[in-house]
Amino acid sequence: MRNTPRRSIGQVFLVVFLVVFSLAMAYPIYNQLVLSLTGPRYIAAADGTTLVPRGFTLATYRAALAIPKVYLGIINSVLITAVGLVINVVLTSMGAYVLIKRDLPGRSVFMTFIVITMFFEGGLIPDYFLMRNLGLLDTYWSVILYKAVNPYYLIILMRFFAAVPRSLIEAARIDGYSEVRILFRIVIPVSVAGIATISLFYGVFHWNEYFRAMVYLTSEAKWPLQVVLRELIVSLEKAAFIGGMNYQRMAGAAEIAFKAIKASLIIIAIAPIMVFYPFVLRYFVKGRLQGSVKE
Amino acid sequence: MDQSRVLLRKRIYRDRHLYLMLAPVILFFLVWHYIPMWGARISFQDVRYIGQNEWVGLKHYRMLFSSPVFGRVFLNTITISAMKIGFFFPLPIVFAFLLNEVRSEGVRRGVQSVVYVPHFLSWVVIAGVFISLLASPDGAVNKVLQFVGIEPIRFMTSTRYIRWVFVVSEAWRSVGWDSILYVAAINSIPQDLYDAAYVDGATRWQQAWHITLASIVPTIITVFILNMGFFMNAGFDQVFNMMNDAVINHVDIIDTYVYRVGLTKGNFSLGTAAGLFKGVIGLFLIFTTDRLSRRVSGEGLW
Repeated sequence: MRNTPRRSIGQVFLVVFLVVFSLAMAYPIYNQLVLSLTGPRYIAAADGTTLVPRGFTLATYRAALAIPKVYLGIINSVLITAVGLVINVVLTSMGAYVLIKRDLPGRSVFMTFIVITMFFEGGLIPDYFLMRNLGLLDTYWSVILYKAVNPYYLIILMRFFAAVPRSLIEAARIDGYSEVRILFRIVIPVSVAGIATISLFYGVFHWNEYFRAMVYLTSEAKWPLQVVLRELIVSLEKAAFIGGMNYQRMAGAAEIAFKAIKASLIIIAIAPIMVFYPFVLRYFVKGRLQGSVKE
Repeated sequence: MDQSRVLLRKRIYRDRHLYLMLAPVILFFLVWHYIPMWGARISFQDVRYIGQNEWVGLKHYRMLFSSPVFGRVFLNTITISAMKIGFFFPLPIVFAFLLNEVRSEGVRRGVQSVVYVPHFLSWVVIAGVFISLLASPDGAVNKVLQFVGIEPIRFMTSTRYIRWVFVVSEAWRSVGWDSILYVAAINSIPQDLYDAAYVDGATRWQQAWHITLASIVPTIITVFILNMGFFMNAGFDQVFNMMNDAVINHVDIIDTYVYRVGLTKGNFSLGTAAGLFKGVIGLFLIFTTDRLSRRVSGEGLW
């Protein structure tokens, strides 16, 4: 396969096919970008096949960001993601560091305890009752702390930590380093790829989370962006969404620009992921491989 | 005996700081995973707002199994999952094969970095994108259909097409991501196998079949077993965000039923019973496929 002549007709066809395939994969997102940048005079005529934004404008983004639900949603999402991520990574690192020690008494009991949760769960309603009993309903903590350690990501990180030379850790122990210090000063700094990978996974999880937020957070002011976006896409109640006052003021313009506003929110919801994506691309492929359950 | 006990105690004492670090992690698992498992006992109880819940045995399960709605929901779940496995499961394998045939490193990298992206988007965003793509006659797909002279179809509200929308959007989201494992498996095949086959006069197709495919069978089996474990899920987030009144009878799955009946209508016990029933089937499926694959190929999950 890898030793046939370099330039064959087949190779050309294959490359053309894959490039067209990739463009088709990217197109739905690109189309949203185009709609979000199209000027108000042209938006009515713009559709799924518009390739270039006519009457280019950033006004849609300004309008979208002026809607209280939207800017509060962004702030809430950032808050939940940032705090959640720190808690996730610290807890997962501590767990992974302890559990890679093969001669820890009781290790297999702890591992079984954790692995069981990968295959069985109490379910939505018991989760809801738990939140209520803990008094966490309608607090940010309900979405920040929910299942704060993901067993799959814990195992991924364990694989990365296990690659840290044992001698490095033993030497630090002999030097009298505390376990916490070994973890944060030695193991984590040499496992950048592992930390980057699980940070990406946890970060994406929090940023994209909408369902638990929808169920646990009753006050709209605490809604993350995804819940706001969902309301806009699913409910389609334009007046309710933009807010009575704004709707009156924007009148006809709001009607027409609604398509563009929706597109701009989709792009805003994707943007942070796309910003970090190139930096973590080389790490997560490795993480995906470490994540297969099999040793 | 006594000596080993002393030794064990010594080791536990030696690792006391490690236990202290592990404690919060174990506590989180206990709270977020094990308490809800214990909480699921309400499926055997009637919920009382004042005083103790009352044990009622299998009452809610009997209600569940005699309800025509749940029968339909169960069938929908199985149908949607089977469609996804049947039509989507082979795609990442085919994609990995194609990618492996590309000689230019640059092209391969470029294609990969594009096709991984959708995996990182939320189902809310994906639903928004697909609604825009497929729902109205204005969407890209209908524009193309009209161009070739086909009447526009409102896919999202069509009982005929909505399940295929699930298969296609799942493919869009996961074809790249799921191919990573296969690409890695193909890359780890030793080059001498191909060299030897080449010397023996094997054609490209023979090489692909007898070397590449044969070498990644264990990976395919592992991924398949994992998928079976999630068979009863059928993709809650996808269905939840793409469903609408026009198609609800065709797409309502167990998890959306649990949410609607259990949480929004307040039939807590009935909803929990449905969820638990789903969980038990999931466990059964994963252990059965694991057994089967061990017997057939000697490859299991653990």
